[in-house]
Amino acid sequence: MITLTNLGKVFRTELIETHALREVNLQVNEGEFAALTGPSGSGKSTLLNILGTLESFDSGDYQLDGKSVKGLSDAALSKLRNEKIGFIFQSFNLIKDFSIYDNIELPLRYRGLNAAARKQRIEQALELVGLHARRDYLPGQLSGGQQQRVAIARAIAGEPRILLADEPTGNLDSLMARQVMELLEQINQQGCTILMVTHDPDQARRAGRNIQIIDGQLHDSTMYDPLAAQSA
Amino acid sequence: MEQFIYYLKVSFKGIKRAPLPYALTIFILSVGLGVFFANATFYYQLNSDPMPHKSDKLFFPMMLLAPYTCTDCKPPRVLSYSNIEKLSQSDIPSAKTAMYSAGGYMRLNASQPALPVSIRITQRDFFSMFEVPLLHGTIWPDNNARHEIILSKATAEKLFGRTDVIGEKLLLDDRHLTVTGVLDDWQMLPRLYDANNRNHLSPVEDVYLPLETGYDMNYLSNTQSQTFDQTDYRQLSTQGRTGALHQLQYWVQLDTPAQQQAYQQFMANLVQDEKAAGRHPSEANNQLIPMRNIVNYFGGDSTDIKAFALVTLLFLLVCLFNASHLSLNRYLGNQYEFSLRRALGASRAQLQLQMLADVILMAVFTITGALITAYGGIKLMNQLLPSNRLFSSWDLTLLLSLLGIAFVCSYLVTLYPSLRASFGNLNQQLKE
Repeated sequence: MITLTNLGKVFRTELIETHALREVNLQVNEGEFAALTGPSGSGKSTLLNILGTLESFDSGDYQLDGKSVKGLSDAALSKLRNEKIGFIFQSFNLIKDFSIYDNIELPLRYRGLNAAARKQRIEQALELVGLHARRDYLPGQLSGGQQQRVAIARAIAGEPRILLADEPTGNLDSLMARQVMELLEQINQQGCTILMVTHDPDQARRAGRNIQIIDGQLHDSTMYDPLAAQSA
Repeated sequence: MEQFIYYLKVSFKGIKRAPLPYALTIFILSVGLGVFFANATFYYQLNSDPMPHKSDKLFFPMMLLAPYTCTDCKPPRVLSYSNIEKLSQSDIPSAKTAMYSAGGYMRLNASQPALPVSIRITQRDFFSMFEVPLLHGTIWPDNNARHEIILSKATAEKLFGRTDVIGEKLLLDDRHLTVTGVLDDWQMLPRLYDANNRNHLSPVEDVYLPLETGYDMNYLSNTQSQTFDQTDYRQLSTQGRTGALHQLQYWVQLDTPAQQQAYQQFMANLVQDEKAAGRHPSEANNQLIPMRNIVNYFGGDSTDIKAFALVTLLFLLVCLFNASHLSLNRYLGNQYEFSLRRALGASRAQLQLQMLADVILMAVFTITGALITAYGGIKLMNQLLPSNRLFSSWDLTLLLSLLGIAFVCSYLVTLYPSLRASFGNLNQQLKE
């Protein structure tokens, strides 16, 4: 589903070049739940952002469903994000003066779905995260855990094939974090591929696969070898 | 449509987040546009062509037919009666009229208080050349002297309380005249047939008198007259037709370029004949001024309005710059939301549609503010420059143009900031 081949990312300033990712090779199959772990600054968030096409890469290739995302136009990348990828951010990224319903509706608006289809998907997502009764609340009226559940509802409402979560429990207490993890596991069981950046070893263990990044290089429990893939 | 209503809703939310900077942006833009609108109104009206379908066929012939010697002299701005007689001999023009203006007092009988009136003393072709609409009666059948008068509609109503007054008698400076025609509502703006002394900015006259009658009644021009010999201008009725007393405007209608060329040749021949007769020693200097250029020829361009136009345009640019700056701050403040929308699948094109909703809202507020400011500005300018009062109205073309300009300005104020906001680093902004 996701294939990274010799992918590299360099951040440049006037004085220095920082290699955030070097020669990254990775294969993620449909339905996997993978945790991206590593020390701060190791490149895991950069990798997640590249996977979500929020950031570009400098070398190598990134194929999603067998198609390279390199050189895609802004409109094509937006469509890809909208239809295939769901995002869960550490700081929830909800629009404060939009209701819960309106926040979840956001990606569906750009999908071009009609009002009835949007409503059906939003209600399903709210049902799943257990916040149906609070659909008209503003984000500020909810707890951190509830806000993250809204963000999850927004991410899954578009029925994406991949869910990218950047430290989804980073701002939550342990109880709420557990609830969010359970929710992610439930979503994964329904067939959605999840890549999650986390610092928490317990959460990483709960994921089926642990991909460790150190100094921009991958140390995967199931490393992908492009040469082997070619010969196969 | 449903999506556009959603965009409008999002725009309103954006306004509610930072109402003060938004209000300030609207205020600055409204003031800039309002001042510009007010001035543009005068500029547009003063420079408009009152007869666009015909103005290229109407000409003011001018000749240096005067009994003095000079080099590089411009022809006198007005013509003498004898010159007009000579020019009138040509049948090339499809219409021709000599005229001047005067002032007088009018009443129905000697017991009534007299009403001051402006008089255009002219010939019958005046009405067809300048397409003056007739409500009642007829125009004089020829250019002979007759004690007949044509009234404007407003004058008839003022004097008689009605308009159907054909055959009624009245006193003009205590001389008896009969009403033979009443004009319909008519306002030629600007009144280009009378541009000699910037009179084109004043309203059309109250009454119309035959040229010969005007001379007989010794009406002196109240705008411009020049004497180049011993003629006593006060003795118009006895000396005005023969002496070198210049006070007449003259207009000819030349429908084709061939007619125009032929008329210029006629003027050249006329001057040659006059010189051969020893009457006009100066170098020939004939001019055939098209009506469109007449104000410019007489130096009657409104320099004050032009200067205002330049100042208000610069002021509008300054306002646009300031409003753009405020708008940029507002959009950069909302950049996080732009980035979030992009992350969730909105393309830049979709964000530009969102921006269009912002533009429409801003245009609605700005247009309202600008029209109120412009209305106030026009009222103020009418106080400061009362001579331009007639030129302060809005017609549909002007109004639509002004609305278009307001929309473009709103778009410009929104375009750059929204583009800046939609081109940021997504990852960076979502973390901030």
